[in-house]
Amino acid sequence: MFENKPTTSNENNLLVVENLSVTVRNSREKLIRNLNFSIPQGEIFGLVGESGSGKSLTATVILGMLSKSLEVTSGSVIFGQSEITSLSEKELRNIRGRDIAYLSQNYQSFFTPFIKVGKQFIEIIRCHTDMSRKEAKKVAIHWLNKVHLPAERVFNSFPDELSGGQLQRASIASAIMFQPKLIIADEPTTALDVLTGERILDLLSELKEELNCSILLISHDLKHIINRTQTVGVMYGGQIVEIGKTSAIVANPIHPYTNLLLQSRLRLNKHIQHELTAMLGEPGLIAEEGCPFSKRCPSVMESCSNIVPMSSLGTDHSAACHLVNAEREERYVTR
Amino acid sequence: MNIQMPRINQIPFFFKNQNLLIQCGIIFFMIIILITLIGPFIVPNDPFTANMSERLAPPSSVYPFGTDHLGRCIFSRLIVGAQSTLGITALVVVTVALIGIPIGLLIGYIGGRLDTVFMRLADGILALPEFILAIAIAGFLGPSLMNLMISIVFVKWIAYTRVVRSIVITERNKDYVLAAKVGGSSSWKIIRRHMFPQIVSPVLVLATLDIGKVILTISSLSYLGLGAQPPAPEWGAMLNDGRPYFQSAPELMIYPGLAIFFVVLAFNLMGEGLRDKWDVKSR
Amino acid sequence: MITIIKNRVTQLVVVLFILSLFTFTLMKLAPGDPVLTILNADEMVVTEEDQAELRNKLGFDQPLYVQYGKWMFNLMQLDLGKSYMSGKPVIEELLTRIPITAELTFFAMTIMLCITVPLGVWSAKYVNKWPDQLSRILALIGASIPNFWLGLILIYLFAFKLGVLPSSGIGSYSQIILPAFTLGFTFAVVYARLLRAGLLQSLSEDYIYAARARGVKEWRILWLHAFRAAVLPVLTIFGLSLGSFLGGAVVVEILFSWPGLGSLAVDAIFNRDYPVIQGYVLLTGVFVVLTNLLVDLSYYVIDPRMKRKEEAL
Repeated sequence: MFENKPTTSNENNLLVVENLSVTVRNSREKLIRNLNFSIPQGEIFGLVGESGSGKSLTATVILGMLSKSLEVTSGSVIFGQSEITSLSEKELRNIRGRDIAYLSQNYQSFFTPFIKVGKQFIEIIRCHTDMSRKEAKKVAIHWLNKVHLPAERVFNSFPDELSGGQLQRASIASAIMFQPKLIIADEPTTALDVLTGERILDLLSELKEELNCSILLISHDLKHIINRTQTVGVMYGGQIVEIGKTSAIVANPIHPYTNLLLQSRLRLNKHIQHELTAMLGEPGLIAEEGCPFSKRCPSVMESCSNIVPMSSLGTDHSAACHLVNAEREERYVTR
Repeated sequence: MNIQMPRINQIPFFFKNQNLLIQCGIIFFMIIILITLIGPFIVPNDPFTANMSERLAPPSSVYPFGTDHLGRCIFSRLIVGAQSTLGITALVVVTVALIGIPIGLLIGYIGGRLDTVFMRLADGILALPEFILAIAIAGFLGPSLMNLMISIVFVKWIAYTRVVRSIVITERNKDYVLAAKVGGSSSWKIIRRHMFPQIVSPVLVLATLDIGKVILTISSLSYLGLGAQPPAPEWGAMLNDGRPYFQSAPELMIYPGLAIFFVVLAFNLMGEGLRDKWDVKSR
Repeated sequence: MITIIKNRVTQLVVVLFILSLFTFTLMKLAPGDPVLTILNADEMVVTEEDQAELRNKLGFDQPLYVQYGKWMFNLMQLDLGKSYMSGKPVIEELLTRIPITAELTFFAMTIMLCITVPLGVWSAKYVNKWPDQLSRILALIGASIPNFWLGLILIYLFAFKLGVLPSSGIGSYSQIILPAFTLGFTFAVVYARLLRAGLLQSLSEDYIYAARARGVKEWRILWLHAFRAAVLPVLTIFGLSLGSFLGGAVVVEILFSWPGLGSLAVDAIFNRDYPVIQGYVLLTGVFVVLTNLLVDLSYYVIDPRMKRKEEAL
């Protein structure tokens, strides 16, 4: 499942991203390179990486909202039965907000600031159905109640009259109104305080069970989503450098970048036995050729300047790094 | 999240090379300066000599653009007029900058109550539109070029003071200024060494764009007869002269108007180009 | 909301005070003795006693601050004195001219809106495509062309060459088109660029992305979600440049022989009719200040966030 060639045969997959590359139009600047991942029905898939690694851009492609200045140069995004990259604007608009819902990283700018929340709910409902305003309001109130909000008050409020947690709940309500098959949550908790963030994630998991939908959870913080996701992909410089079952990755991270993300995690039960490995270069430094992390990598080799293919370590874990081979040998020897 | 929109300051294809804008402006500007400087020596006819037998003559080899209602050569008057129009404008803009910049430095640097008083005063003066003010001054003190210039200066300096003030206030609290203060630099030295270089580009952009506006204001008021007085070959005044003969001899009005248009266009092109190049935000 | 209005009104009073002081000072600086003008000294023999008597009657022998006080007192009662030329009260002269200028301004603004909004939206929608380039060129032309000259060219084309529209006069709608277009055009194309910039700014906001992601139709996003925020900068600039607009109206009135406020002022300047000039300056000043107040207040209607932000302070 995590081989270099993705398995599209898996019938359970709701979303399959295959060999996807995005470039700036009329230039060779690649923003996303050969992305492969799939999200099975009813699972939470985590996409982790620092800002600029291409996570949000991946979400944009899945929503079919790529700017005209960018283009998909290869690959496909298959959602259910349809190929997103070849749909018309009208077909996409019907999918957006209905089958694929989006949650923004910035709750404050999820709703348009000078339009009342309720009005925006009605707008969404009437864009996807031919309900009357009255019926639409009933639906909106129902879903606002569902996310444990004082529905009437929120309905009649301007977005900036609500607190961050309320806004995020309201945006979740607007996202799940049509019982979407996929929710893309782009850093849903970044702007919230820790407790509120946790509660929002709880709510999302709860709703996922109830609606039996899949979630693409995007975050810059790997440790934050470890407990929430079944599968996770680590992105750096527009590529997935490591992907696999969350448990497998946490137990045995291969790629030095994944290691870096995990190292910043505080562990109360362990003493820090060794100094934190010094990282070369600045965050965001991306190598043009070969492994994007090679300029910052402590275990860099000559071969890293060539394209490093994904190689798998067992059935549920693979990484694009030469260290995979070392790990395999080690396992072989110890066995 | 801004990936879905193209950059805002992208330039259409024919201005793709941002410098092309400035280049066009600079070439225009050079031609204008050249004409202004050597114009009076190369004009075919004396711009002030009236020749009633040749009045309202069509363009000919002697009079390239024809003659006006007093038989004066329009071409020669245009060339000589460039000097007065541009000279007046340059004088106004330089005066405005010389008044506005020091006051801005001072107010920004001292701040406090002085700053509050200035902002109130500025609001008061700015409520009085430049054009209305010019009319007021021309009305009470008599219509003349000098009074027109005074009224423009009276309003315009505030814009420069505001720009300089806002830059100084932003810079004043930055660490390097504090460091310089701690290092024992005098206030004057801090202003001269650290603040002054910061204000050069925004003020230059403002001034370049203002030249166009000042030319337009002066020529409009001269057209109304409230600025340059006859027989001065100022472009706006020339248009006023030509009005009664407009229907029969439209070239009396077309050429001075075109001259104003192209000169202002040149400065606008240059100003916009400089603004894009230096990335000056309008404040 | 009430505190905001209170603050604005205080500001307004300060500004009006400066305006009145300014006009009064200019009045006093004006060359020529108003007493001699009123007594028509050029044509009649005027004795010293006559002069002194009138000076005393007009209060010109009192200290300046007393004069200012009296002047202000009269002003409050809308008594601006009498025109030297017609002998009618200035306020009456002004009132008869206001509707004419208002009509011109109204039509000019209508034409302006009809150009600005479609051109701005159109060029924001097709950024860097040909509509955008067209609007850029138009804006450069608009910022560089003297509007009286544009008027002349229009008169030449439509009145003299084609003969489809009258070149001057008031009364019929065909006579409004040329002056209103002359006045509106140069402002319209410049504002269109501002609107475009504002729209591009607000279209790149996260909430627009979110609205798209909810499947909201493109036209709703443009007109309901993006347009409002984009209008604010245009309104600000419009408020600030209202003075230039009225200035432009003076030129256009002269050009098209409209007997409005501008024509009245220019005539008064040539006739040294100081009370009329003073009335005109005060009237336009007050008008500009009041309109700016309205523009400020309209922000709170357009973007309710501002109201709450200020009330929270």
